[in-house]
Amino acid sequence: MTLKRGFLALTLLALGATAVLALWVTPPRENEGWDAVRLLYLHVPCAWIAYLAFGITAVASLLYLVPRTRHPSWDLLAGASAEVGVIFTALMLIVGSLWGRPTWGTWWAWDARLTTTAIMFFLYLGYLALRRSGATVAERGKRCAIAALIAFADVPIVHFSVTWWQTLHQQGTVFNPKLDVQIDGSMAFTLVLAVAAFTMLYGYFVMERFELAQLEEGREERELQLAIAERVRAERREQVVPA
Amino acid sequence: MSHNWNYVVAGYAIVTASLAGYGVWLRVKLRRARRSLPEESGD
Amino acid sequence: MSFLREAALVAGKDLRVERRSRVALQQIVPFAAIVVLLLAFALDSDSTLLPRAAPGLFWAAIFLATLLAVGRSFGIEEANRARDGLRMSGLDGGSIFVGKAAAVAVELFLLEVVVGIAVVVLYDVTVRGVLILLLAAVAATIALAATGTVYGVLAGGLRARETLVPLLVLPAVMPVMLGATRAFQAAIDNSPSDAWPWVQLLAVFAVLVVAAGVVAFGPLLEET
Repeated sequence: MTLKRGFLALTLLALGATAVLALWVTPPRENEGWDAVRLLYLHVPCAWIAYLAFGITAVASLLYLVPRTRHPSWDLLAGASAEVGVIFTALMLIVGSLWGRPTWGTWWAWDARLTTTAIMFFLYLGYLALRRSGATVAERGKRCAIAALIAFADVPIVHFSVTWWQTLHQQGTVFNPKLDVQIDGSMAFTLVLAVAAFTMLYGYFVMERFELAQLEEGREERELQLAIAERVRAERREQVVPA
Repeated sequence: MSHNWNYVVAGYAIVTASLAGYGVWLRVKLRRARRSLPEESGD
Repeated sequence: MSFLREAALVAGKDLRVERRSRVALQQIVPFAAIVVLLLAFALDSDSTLLPRAAPGLFWAAIFLATLLAVGRSFGIEEANRARDGLRMSGLDGGSIFVGKAAAVAVELFLLEVVVGIAVVVLYDVTVRGVLILLLAAVAATIALAATGTVYGVLAGGLRARETLVPLLVLPAVMPVMLGATRAFQAAIDNSPSDAWPWVQLLAVFAVLVVAAGVVAFGPLLEET
Protein backbone atom coordinates (compact mmCIF):
# COMPACT_ATOMS: atom_id res chain seq x y z
CA MET A 1 0.00 0.00 0.00
CA THR A 2 2.67 2.47 0.98
CA LEU A 3 4.65 1.58 -2.12
CA LYS A 4 1.82 2.77 -4.30
CA ARG A 5 1.37 5.85 -2.14
CA GLY A 6 5.03 6.61 -2.46
CA PHE A 7 4.91 6.16 -6.20
CA LEU A 8 1.94 8.49 -6.47
CA ALA A 9 3.73 11.09 -4.36
CA LEU A 10 6.79 10.86 -6.56
CA THR A 11 4.64 11.15 -9.67
CA LEU A 12 2.88 14.24 -8.39
CA LEU A 13 6.25 15.72 -7.46
CA ALA A 14 7.57 15.11 -10.96
CA LEU A 15 4.44 16.61 -12.49
CA GLY A 16 4.68 19.63 -10.23
CA ALA A 17 8.32 20.17 -11.10
CA THR A 18 7.44 19.90 -14.78
CA ALA A 19 4.73 22.52 -14.41
CA VAL A 20 7.07 24.93 -12.64
CA LEU A 21 9.76 24.48 -15.23
CA ALA A 22 7.34 24.62 -18.13
CA LEU A 23 5.47 27.67 -16.97
CA TRP A 24 8.21 29.76 -15.39
CA VAL A 25 11.74 28.65 -15.95
CA THR A 26 11.79 27.90 -19.66
CA PRO A 27 11.78 30.75 -22.14
CA PRO A 28 9.09 31.47 -24.74
CA ARG A 29 9.85 30.90 -28.40
CA GLU A 30 10.10 34.01 -30.49
CA ASN A 31 8.33 33.86 -33.85
CA GLU A 32 6.86 30.51 -32.97
CA GLY A 33 3.91 31.20 -30.77
CA TRP A 34 5.83 32.79 -27.89
CA ASP A 35 4.45 31.30 -24.71
CA ALA A 36 2.28 28.83 -26.58
CA VAL A 37 5.34 26.63 -26.88
CA ARG A 38 4.80 25.76 -23.21
CA LEU A 39 1.91 23.63 -24.37
CA LEU A 40 4.35 21.33 -26.08
CA TYR A 41 5.53 20.14 -22.67
CA LEU A 42 2.06 18.69 -22.37
CA HIS A 43 1.42 17.70 -25.97
CA VAL A 44 4.55 15.66 -26.61
CA PRO A 45 4.24 13.53 -23.45
CA CYS A 46 0.55 12.90 -24.19
CA ALA A 47 1.49 11.69 -27.66
CA TRP A 48 4.16 9.37 -26.29
CA ILE A 49 1.81 7.97 -23.65
CA ALA A 50 -0.94 7.39 -26.20
CA TYR A 51 1.35 5.24 -28.37
CA LEU A 52 2.77 3.47 -25.33
CA ALA A 53 -0.70 2.74 -23.98
CA PHE A 54 -2.04 1.35 -27.25
CA GLY A 55 1.13 -0.61 -27.76
CA ILE A 56 0.65 -2.27 -24.41
CA THR A 57 -2.98 -2.92 -25.26
CA ALA A 58 -1.86 -4.67 -28.42
CA VAL A 59 0.74 -6.79 -26.64
CA ALA A 60 -1.67 -7.72 -23.86
CA SER A 61 -4.33 -8.60 -26.44
CA LEU A 62 -1.89 -10.82 -28.30
CA LEU A 63 -0.90 -12.57 -25.09
CA TYR A 64 -4.55 -13.19 -24.35
CA LEU A 65 -5.21 -14.65 -27.79
CA VAL A 66 -2.29 -17.05 -27.78
CA PRO A 67 -3.61 -20.14 -25.98
CA ARG A 68 -0.36 -20.84 -24.18
CA THR A 69 -0.28 -17.43 -22.51
CA ARG A 70 -4.02 -16.88 -22.18
CA HIS A 71 -5.00 -15.40 -18.82
CA PRO A 72 -7.87 -13.07 -17.95
CA SER A 73 -5.45 -10.52 -16.54
CA TRP A 74 -4.20 -9.77 -20.04
CA ASP A 75 -7.68 -8.77 -21.11
CA LEU A 76 -8.06 -6.55 -18.06
CA LEU A 77 -4.69 -4.94 -18.71
CA ALA A 78 -5.54 -4.34 -22.35
CA GLY A 79 -8.72 -2.57 -21.36
CA ALA A 80 -7.13 -0.49 -18.62
CA SER A 81 -4.30 0.63 -20.85
CA ALA A 82 -6.66 1.48 -23.69
CA GLU A 83 -8.87 3.58 -21.46
CA VAL A 84 -5.92 5.62 -20.24
CA GLY A 85 -4.65 5.79 -23.81
CA VAL A 86 -7.90 7.24 -25.08
CA ILE A 87 -7.81 9.92 -22.40
CA PHE A 88 -4.29 10.92 -23.33
CA THR A 89 -5.15 10.86 -27.04
CA ALA A 90 -8.03 13.24 -26.43
CA LEU A 91 -5.79 15.52 -24.41
CA MET A 92 -3.16 15.32 -27.12
CA LEU A 93 -5.65 16.51 -29.70
CA ILE A 94 -7.00 19.30 -27.50
CA VAL A 95 -3.60 20.60 -26.44
CA GLY A 96 -2.29 20.27 -29.97
CA SER A 97 -5.17 22.36 -31.19
CA LEU A 98 -4.58 24.98 -28.50
CA TRP A 99 -0.93 25.07 -29.51
CA GLY A 100 -1.64 25.24 -33.22
CA ARG A 101 -4.01 28.16 -33.11
CA PRO A 102 -1.55 30.80 -31.90
CA THR A 103 1.45 29.22 -33.59
CA TRP A 104 0.09 28.40 -37.03
CA GLY A 105 -3.17 30.28 -37.04
CA THR A 106 -5.50 27.30 -37.31
CA TRP A 107 -7.22 25.08 -34.80
CA TRP A 108 -6.76 22.10 -37.09
CA ALA A 109 -4.81 20.96 -40.12
CA TRP A 110 -5.22 17.82 -42.17
CA ASP A 111 -1.64 16.71 -41.90
CA ALA A 112 -0.72 13.09 -41.39
CA ARG A 113 0.03 13.21 -37.68
CA LEU A 114 -3.15 14.99 -36.63
CA THR A 115 -5.47 13.11 -38.95
CA THR A 116 -4.05 9.77 -37.92
CA THR A 117 -4.39 10.70 -34.26
CA ALA A 118 -8.02 11.63 -34.76
CA ILE A 119 -8.75 8.30 -36.43
CA MET A 120 -6.78 6.45 -33.78
CA PHE A 121 -8.94 8.14 -31.17
CA PHE A 122 -12.11 6.82 -32.79
CA LEU A 123 -10.66 3.36 -33.35
CA TYR A 124 -10.02 2.95 -29.63
CA LEU A 125 -13.22 4.66 -28.62
CA GLY A 126 -14.93 1.90 -30.57
CA TYR A 127 -12.75 -0.66 -28.81
CA LEU A 128 -13.85 0.70 -25.42
CA ALA A 129 -17.50 0.54 -26.53
CA LEU A 130 -16.95 -3.06 -27.58
CA ARG A 131 -15.49 -3.88 -24.17
CA ARG A 132 -18.63 -2.71 -22.48
CA SER A 133 -20.66 -5.21 -24.45
CA GLY A 134 -19.43 -8.15 -22.40
CA ALA A 135 -19.47 -8.24 -18.63
CA THR A 136 -16.89 -10.95 -18.09
CA VAL A 137 -13.55 -11.72 -19.66
CA ALA A 138 -14.90 -14.96 -21.08
CA GLU A 139 -17.63 -13.13 -22.93
CA ARG A 140 -15.56 -10.37 -24.45
CA GLY A 141 -11.97 -11.54 -24.33
CA LYS A 142 -11.39 -12.84 -27.83
CA ARG A 143 -13.45 -10.26 -29.68
CA CYS A 144 -11.82 -7.34 -27.94
CA ALA A 145 -8.36 -8.76 -28.38
CA ILE A 146 -8.87 -9.10 -32.12
CA ALA A 147 -10.44 -5.64 -32.34
CA ALA A 148 -7.42 -4.19 -30.51
CA LEU A 149 -4.99 -5.87 -32.87
CA ILE A 150 -6.89 -4.69 -35.94
CA ALA A 151 -6.88 -1.14 -34.54
CA PHE A 152 -3.17 -1.34 -33.84
CA ALA A 153 -2.39 -2.58 -37.33
CA ASP A 154 -4.64 0.02 -38.92
CA VAL A 155 -2.91 3.04 -37.39
CA PRO A 156 0.29 2.82 -39.47
CA ILE A 157 -1.76 2.15 -42.59
CA VAL A 158 -3.83 5.24 -41.92
CA HIS A 159 -0.70 7.26 -41.25
CA PHE A 160 0.88 6.05 -44.47
CA SER A 161 -2.12 6.82 -46.64
CA VAL A 162 -2.67 10.24 -45.11
CA THR A 163 1.02 11.11 -45.52
CA TRP A 164 0.70 10.24 -49.17
CA TRP A 165 -2.44 12.26 -49.46
CA GLN A 166 -0.78 15.29 -47.92
CA THR A 167 2.38 15.13 -49.99
CA LEU A 168 0.13 15.36 -53.02
CA HIS A 169 -1.34 18.53 -51.61
CA GLN A 170 2.17 19.70 -50.86
CA GLN A 171 1.41 21.06 -47.46
CA GLY A 172 4.15 23.61 -46.90
CA THR A 173 3.91 24.26 -43.21
CA VAL A 174 4.26 21.24 -41.06
CA PHE A 175 1.68 21.56 -38.34
CA ASN A 176 3.86 19.37 -36.26
CA PRO A 177 5.21 19.93 -32.83
CA LYS A 178 8.55 18.49 -33.80
CA LEU A 179 11.20 20.18 -31.81
CA ASP A 180 14.02 21.32 -34.04
CA VAL A 181 17.65 20.76 -33.20
CA GLN A 182 18.55 24.02 -31.51
CA ILE A 183 16.40 24.05 -28.42
CA ASP A 184 17.40 25.68 -25.24
CA GLY A 185 18.93 23.31 -22.68
CA SER A 186 16.23 23.97 -20.14
CA MET A 187 13.56 23.16 -22.73
CA ALA A 188 15.09 19.80 -23.52
CA PHE A 189 15.37 18.94 -19.85
CA THR A 190 11.80 19.99 -19.15
CA LEU A 191 10.57 17.92 -22.03
CA VAL A 192 12.37 14.82 -20.80
CA LEU A 193 11.11 15.43 -17.29
CA ALA A 194 7.59 15.89 -18.62
CA VAL A 195 7.73 12.60 -20.51
CA ALA A 196 9.05 10.83 -17.42
CA ALA A 197 6.41 12.37 -15.17
CA PHE A 198 3.59 11.51 -17.54
CA THR A 199 4.86 7.99 -17.93
CA MET A 200 4.77 7.57 -14.19
CA LEU A 201 1.24 8.93 -14.15
CA TYR A 202 0.28 6.49 -16.88
CA GLY A 203 1.71 3.66 -14.83
CA TYR A 204 -0.21 4.76 -11.77
CA PHE A 205 -3.47 5.10 -13.66
CA VAL A 206 -3.13 1.71 -15.32
CA MET A 207 -2.36 0.03 -11.99
CA GLU A 208 -5.46 1.54 -10.41
CA ARG A 209 -7.66 0.89 -13.41
CA PHE A 210 -6.41 -2.68 -13.60
CA GLU A 211 -7.25 -3.29 -9.95
CA LEU A 212 -10.67 -1.80 -10.49
CA ALA A 213 -11.22 -4.08 -13.46
CA GLN A 214 -10.13 -7.09 -11.42
CA LEU A 215 -12.57 -6.25 -8.64
CA GLU A 216 -15.39 -5.68 -11.09
CA GLU A 217 -14.57 -8.91 -12.89
CA GLY A 218 -14.63 -10.72 -9.56
CA ARG A 219 -17.99 -9.22 -8.74
CA GLU A 220 -19.41 -10.25 -12.12
CA GLU A 221 -18.18 -13.78 -11.59
CA ARG A 222 -19.67 -13.90 -8.09
CA GLU A 223 -23.01 -12.56 -9.27
CA LEU A 224 -23.00 -15.14 -12.03
CA GLN A 225 -22.33 -17.92 -9.50
CA LEU A 226 -25.02 -16.58 -7.22
CA ALA A 227 -27.53 -16.47 -10.04
CA ILE A 228 -26.69 -20.02 -11.04
CA ALA A 229 -26.88 -21.26 -7.45
CA GLU A 230 -30.24 -19.56 -6.99
CA ARG A 231 -31.53 -21.16 -10.16
CA VAL A 232 -30.41 -24.60 -9.05
CA ARG A 233 -32.08 -24.13 -5.70
CA ALA A 234 -35.33 -23.04 -7.29
CA GLU A 235 -35.34 -26.07 -9.55
CA ARG A 236 -34.72 -28.39 -6.63
CA ARG A 237 -37.64 -26.88 -4.78
CA GLU A 238 -39.89 -27.48 -7.76
CA GLN A 239 -38.83 -31.11 -7.89
CA VAL A 240 -39.74 -31.73 -4.23
CA VAL A 241 -43.24 -30.23 -4.26
CA PRO A 242 -45.20 -32.20 -6.95
CA ALA A 243 -44.71 -35.66 -5.41
CA MET B 1 6.03 39.69 -24.44
CA SER B 2 3.59 37.25 -23.01
CA HIS B 3 1.30 36.50 -25.90
CA ASN B 4 -0.96 33.59 -25.92
CA TRP B 5 -1.01 32.96 -22.22
CA ASN B 6 -4.72 32.31 -22.42
CA TYR B 7 -4.03 29.30 -24.64
CA VAL B 8 -1.40 28.05 -22.24
CA VAL B 9 -3.63 28.51 -19.22
CA ALA B 10 -6.53 26.84 -21.01
CA GLY B 11 -4.34 23.90 -21.99
CA TYR B 12 -2.83 23.37 -18.56
CA ALA B 13 -6.22 23.79 -16.91
CA ILE B 14 -7.90 21.25 -19.16
CA VAL B 15 -5.13 18.71 -18.75
CA THR B 16 -4.94 19.12 -14.99
CA ALA B 17 -8.70 18.98 -14.56
CA SER B 18 -9.08 15.92 -16.77
CA LEU B 19 -6.28 13.91 -15.24
CA ALA B 20 -7.18 14.89 -11.70
CA GLY B 21 -10.81 14.11 -12.43
CA TYR B 22 -9.91 10.69 -13.79
CA GLY B 23 -7.74 10.03 -10.75
CA VAL B 24 -10.54 10.97 -8.39
CA TRP B 25 -13.04 8.86 -10.31
CA LEU B 26 -10.72 5.87 -10.06
CA ARG B 27 -10.28 6.40 -6.33
CA VAL B 28 -14.01 6.59 -5.73
CA LYS B 29 -14.82 3.52 -7.83
CA LEU B 30 -12.05 1.53 -6.19
CA ARG B 31 -13.21 2.40 -2.72
CA ARG B 32 -16.75 1.27 -3.57
CA ALA B 33 -15.55 -1.91 -5.20
CA ARG B 34 -13.28 -2.84 -2.30
CA ARG B 35 -16.09 -2.20 0.16
CA SER B 36 -18.43 -4.55 -1.65
CA LEU B 37 -16.02 -7.47 -1.39
CA PRO B 38 -18.02 -10.26 0.26
CA GLU B 39 -17.10 -11.70 3.64
CA GLU B 40 -16.09 -15.29 3.06
CA SER B 41 -19.28 -16.79 4.51
CA GLY B 42 -19.67 -19.55 1.95
CA ASP B 43 -22.98 -20.86 0.72
CA MET C 1 -15.44 -29.80 -50.18
CA SER C 2 -12.84 -27.36 -51.38
CA PHE C 3 -12.42 -23.95 -49.82
CA LEU C 4 -13.83 -22.09 -52.81
CA ARG C 5 -16.75 -24.46 -53.17
CA GLU C 6 -17.67 -23.88 -49.55
CA ALA C 7 -17.33 -20.14 -49.96
CA ALA C 8 -19.48 -20.23 -53.08
CA LEU C 9 -22.06 -22.23 -51.14
CA VAL C 10 -22.25 -19.59 -48.42
CA ALA C 11 -22.26 -16.71 -50.90
CA GLY C 12 -24.97 -18.42 -52.85
CA LYS C 13 -27.06 -18.85 -49.73
CA ASP C 14 -26.76 -15.17 -48.82
CA LEU C 15 -27.55 -14.03 -52.34
CA ARG C 16 -30.52 -16.36 -52.54
CA VAL C 17 -31.86 -14.92 -49.29
CA GLU C 18 -31.47 -11.51 -50.86
CA ARG C 19 -33.19 -12.57 -54.04
CA ARG C 20 -36.18 -13.80 -52.07
CA SER C 21 -36.37 -10.98 -49.52
CA ARG C 22 -35.20 -8.20 -51.80
CA VAL C 23 -34.06 -6.15 -48.85
CA ALA C 24 -30.98 -4.77 -50.56
CA LEU C 25 -32.96 -3.91 -53.66
CA GLN C 26 -35.90 -2.32 -51.91
CA GLN C 27 -34.17 -0.69 -48.97
CA ILE C 28 -30.43 -0.30 -49.38
CA VAL C 29 -30.44 0.97 -52.97
CA PRO C 30 -33.04 3.64 -52.22
CA PHE C 31 -31.12 4.53 -49.08
CA ALA C 32 -27.98 5.15 -51.10
CA ALA C 33 -29.92 7.16 -53.64
CA ILE C 34 -31.41 9.30 -50.91
CA VAL C 35 -27.94 9.92 -49.51
CA VAL C 36 -26.89 11.18 -52.94
CA LEU C 37 -29.83 13.59 -52.87
CA LEU C 38 -29.13 14.50 -49.26
CA LEU C 39 -25.59 15.49 -50.07
CA ALA C 40 -26.76 17.62 -52.96
CA PHE C 41 -29.13 19.40 -50.59
CA ALA C 42 -26.34 19.76 -48.07
CA LEU C 43 -24.03 21.35 -50.61
CA ASP C 44 -26.67 23.69 -51.90
CA SER C 45 -26.79 21.96 -55.30
CA ASP C 46 -23.93 24.23 -56.19
CA SER C 47 -23.25 23.58 -59.81
CA THR C 48 -19.51 23.93 -59.48
CA LEU C 49 -19.01 22.21 -56.16
CA LEU C 50 -20.94 19.00 -56.78
CA PRO C 51 -18.97 17.68 -59.76
CA ARG C 52 -15.73 18.51 -58.01
CA ALA C 53 -16.80 16.72 -54.86
CA ALA C 54 -18.43 13.86 -56.76
CA PRO C 55 -15.88 11.10 -56.04
CA GLY C 56 -16.04 11.80 -52.30
CA LEU C 57 -19.80 12.05 -52.24
CA PHE C 58 -20.14 8.86 -54.25
CA TRP C 59 -17.98 6.91 -51.84
CA ALA C 60 -19.63 8.52 -48.80
CA ALA C 61 -22.95 7.13 -50.01
CA ILE C 62 -21.39 3.72 -50.68
CA PHE C 63 -19.70 3.59 -47.27
CA LEU C 64 -22.98 4.30 -45.51
CA ALA C 65 -24.76 1.72 -47.61
CA THR C 66 -22.02 -0.79 -46.74
CA LEU C 67 -22.94 -0.45 -43.09
CA LEU C 68 -26.50 -1.39 -43.93
CA ALA C 69 -25.43 -4.26 -46.16
CA VAL C 70 -23.15 -5.71 -43.48
CA GLY C 71 -25.84 -5.25 -40.87
CA ARG C 72 -28.19 -7.19 -43.10
CA SER C 73 -25.60 -9.89 -43.81
CA PHE C 74 -25.43 -10.67 -40.12
CA GLY C 75 -29.03 -9.85 -39.41
CA ILE C 76 -30.14 -12.85 -41.43
CA GLU C 77 -28.01 -15.07 -39.21
CA GLU C 78 -29.87 -13.99 -36.10
CA ALA C 79 -33.20 -15.49 -37.12
CA ASN C 80 -34.01 -19.16 -36.56
CA ARG C 81 -30.65 -19.72 -34.86
CA ALA C 82 -29.04 -19.66 -38.27
CA ARG C 83 -25.79 -18.72 -36.58
CA ASP C 84 -25.73 -22.03 -34.72
CA GLY C 85 -26.48 -23.75 -38.00
CA LEU C 86 -23.51 -22.04 -39.55
CA ARG C 87 -21.28 -23.10 -36.68
CA MET C 88 -22.35 -26.70 -36.79
CA SER C 89 -22.32 -26.96 -40.55
CA GLY C 90 -18.72 -28.11 -40.51
CA LEU C 91 -17.76 -25.48 -43.00
CA ASP C 92 -14.38 -23.90 -42.55
CA GLY C 93 -14.55 -20.48 -40.88
CA GLY C 94 -12.38 -18.94 -43.55
CA SER C 95 -14.65 -20.09 -46.35
CA ILE C 96 -17.74 -18.81 -44.55
CA PHE C 97 -15.96 -15.49 -44.29
CA VAL C 98 -15.09 -15.38 -47.98
CA GLY C 99 -18.61 -16.41 -48.89
CA LYS C 100 -20.33 -13.79 -46.77
CA ALA C 101 -17.91 -11.05 -47.76
CA ALA C 102 -18.29 -11.98 -51.43
CA ALA C 103 -22.07 -11.75 -51.20
CA VAL C 104 -21.80 -8.29 -49.64
CA ALA C 105 -19.28 -7.29 -52.30
CA VAL C 106 -21.60 -8.40 -55.11
CA GLU C 107 -24.42 -6.35 -53.64
CA LEU C 108 -22.11 -3.38 -53.29
CA PHE C 109 -20.91 -3.65 -56.90
CA LEU C 110 -24.46 -3.56 -58.18
CA LEU C 111 -25.17 -0.67 -55.84
CA GLU C 112 -22.14 1.21 -57.15
CA VAL C 113 -23.44 0.96 -60.69
CA VAL C 114 -26.76 2.46 -59.66
CA VAL C 115 -25.26 5.15 -57.45
CA GLY C 116 -22.64 5.87 -60.09
CA ILE C 117 -25.32 6.61 -62.63
CA ALA C 118 -27.16 8.76 -60.11
CA VAL C 119 -24.02 10.74 -59.33
CA VAL C 120 -23.11 11.24 -62.97
CA VAL C 121 -26.59 12.45 -63.74
CA LEU C 122 -27.33 14.53 -60.66
CA TYR C 123 -23.89 16.01 -60.07
CA ASP C 124 -23.12 16.57 -63.72
CA VAL C 125 -19.91 14.58 -63.90
CA THR C 126 -18.00 13.62 -67.00
CA VAL C 127 -16.63 10.14 -66.64
CA ARG C 128 -13.21 9.25 -67.96
CA GLY C 129 -10.62 6.63 -67.22
CA VAL C 130 -13.21 3.88 -66.87
CA LEU C 131 -10.68 1.08 -66.53
CA ILE C 132 -8.96 2.69 -63.56
CA LEU C 133 -12.34 3.48 -62.06
CA LEU C 134 -13.29 -0.17 -62.28
CA LEU C 135 -10.02 -1.39 -60.77
CA ALA C 136 -10.24 1.08 -57.92
CA ALA C 137 -13.88 0.21 -57.34
CA VAL C 138 -13.16 -3.52 -57.26
CA ALA C 139 -10.32 -3.16 -54.76
CA ALA C 140 -12.22 -0.69 -52.59
CA THR C 141 -15.38 -2.80 -52.61
CA ILE C 142 -13.54 -5.94 -51.60
CA ALA C 143 -11.79 -4.00 -48.83
CA LEU C 144 -15.09 -2.60 -47.59
CA ALA C 145 -16.99 -5.87 -47.72
CA ALA C 146 -14.19 -7.76 -46.00
CA THR C 147 -13.74 -5.21 -43.20
CA GLY C 148 -17.46 -5.04 -42.62
CA THR C 149 -17.70 -8.82 -42.48
CA VAL C 150 -14.87 -9.07 -39.94
CA TYR C 151 -16.48 -6.56 -37.63
CA GLY C 152 -19.88 -8.02 -38.30
CA VAL C 153 -18.91 -11.38 -36.90
CA LEU C 154 -16.84 -9.74 -34.18
CA ALA C 155 -19.89 -7.94 -32.87
CA GLY C 156 -22.23 -10.77 -33.77
CA GLY C 157 -24.76 -11.80 -31.16
CA LEU C 158 -24.22 -8.65 -29.13
CA ARG C 159 -27.27 -6.62 -28.34
CA ALA C 160 -25.46 -3.45 -29.36
CA ARG C 161 -24.35 -4.97 -32.68
CA GLU C 162 -26.28 -2.53 -34.85
CA THR C 163 -24.68 0.55 -33.35
CA LEU C 164 -21.29 -0.99 -32.62
CA VAL C 165 -20.50 -2.18 -36.14
CA PRO C 166 -20.68 1.27 -37.77
CA LEU C 167 -18.55 2.77 -35.00
CA LEU C 168 -15.99 0.02 -35.44
CA VAL C 169 -15.96 -0.13 -39.24
CA LEU C 170 -15.78 3.50 -40.27
CA PRO C 171 -12.53 4.54 -38.58
CA ALA C 172 -10.90 1.35 -39.79
CA VAL C 173 -11.75 1.94 -43.46
CA MET C 174 -10.51 5.51 -43.67
CA PRO C 175 -7.59 4.51 -45.91
CA VAL C 176 -10.12 3.00 -48.31
CA MET C 177 -12.03 6.25 -48.43
CA LEU C 178 -8.84 8.13 -49.16
CA GLY C 179 -7.64 5.70 -51.80
CA ALA C 180 -10.97 5.31 -53.55
CA THR C 181 -11.75 9.01 -53.78
CA ARG C 182 -8.23 9.97 -54.88
CA ALA C 183 -8.23 7.23 -57.49
CA PHE C 184 -11.62 8.28 -58.81
CA GLN C 185 -10.56 11.90 -58.86
CA ALA C 186 -7.42 11.11 -60.80
CA ALA C 187 -9.38 9.00 -63.26
CA ILE C 188 -11.92 11.75 -63.86
CA ASP C 189 -9.14 14.32 -64.21
CA ASN C 190 -7.77 12.08 -66.94
CA SER C 191 -4.47 11.32 -65.20
CA PRO C 192 -4.65 7.57 -64.57
CA SER C 193 -1.00 7.43 -63.58
CA ASP C 194 -1.89 9.42 -60.47
CA ALA C 195 -4.63 6.95 -59.67
CA TRP C 196 -2.41 3.90 -59.90
CA PRO C 197 -0.63 4.26 -56.51
CA TRP C 198 -3.99 4.63 -54.81
CA VAL C 199 -5.29 1.52 -56.52
CA GLN C 200 -2.26 -0.31 -55.18
CA LEU C 201 -2.96 0.96 -51.67
CA LEU C 202 -6.54 -0.27 -51.98
CA ALA C 203 -5.35 -3.64 -53.23
CA VAL C 204 -2.89 -4.06 -50.36
CA PHE C 205 -5.54 -3.09 -47.83
CA ALA C 206 -7.98 -5.54 -49.38
CA VAL C 207 -5.46 -8.36 -49.27
CA LEU C 208 -4.59 -7.66 -45.63
CA VAL C 209 -8.21 -7.53 -44.51
CA VAL C 210 -9.18 -10.68 -46.40
CA ALA C 211 -6.22 -12.51 -44.88
CA ALA C 212 -7.17 -11.31 -41.41
CA GLY C 213 -10.76 -12.34 -41.99
CA VAL C 214 -9.93 -15.83 -43.20
CA VAL C 215 -7.89 -16.40 -40.05
CA ALA C 216 -10.13 -14.72 -37.51
CA PHE C 217 -13.64 -15.51 -38.70
CA GLY C 218 -13.77 -19.10 -37.48
CA PRO C 219 -12.64 -18.38 -33.92
CA LEU C 220 -14.89 -15.33 -33.74
CA LEU C 221 -17.89 -17.32 -34.92
CA GLU C 222 -17.28 -19.81 -32.11
CA GLU C 223 -17.25 -16.98 -29.60
CA THR C 224 -20.60 -15.48 -30.36
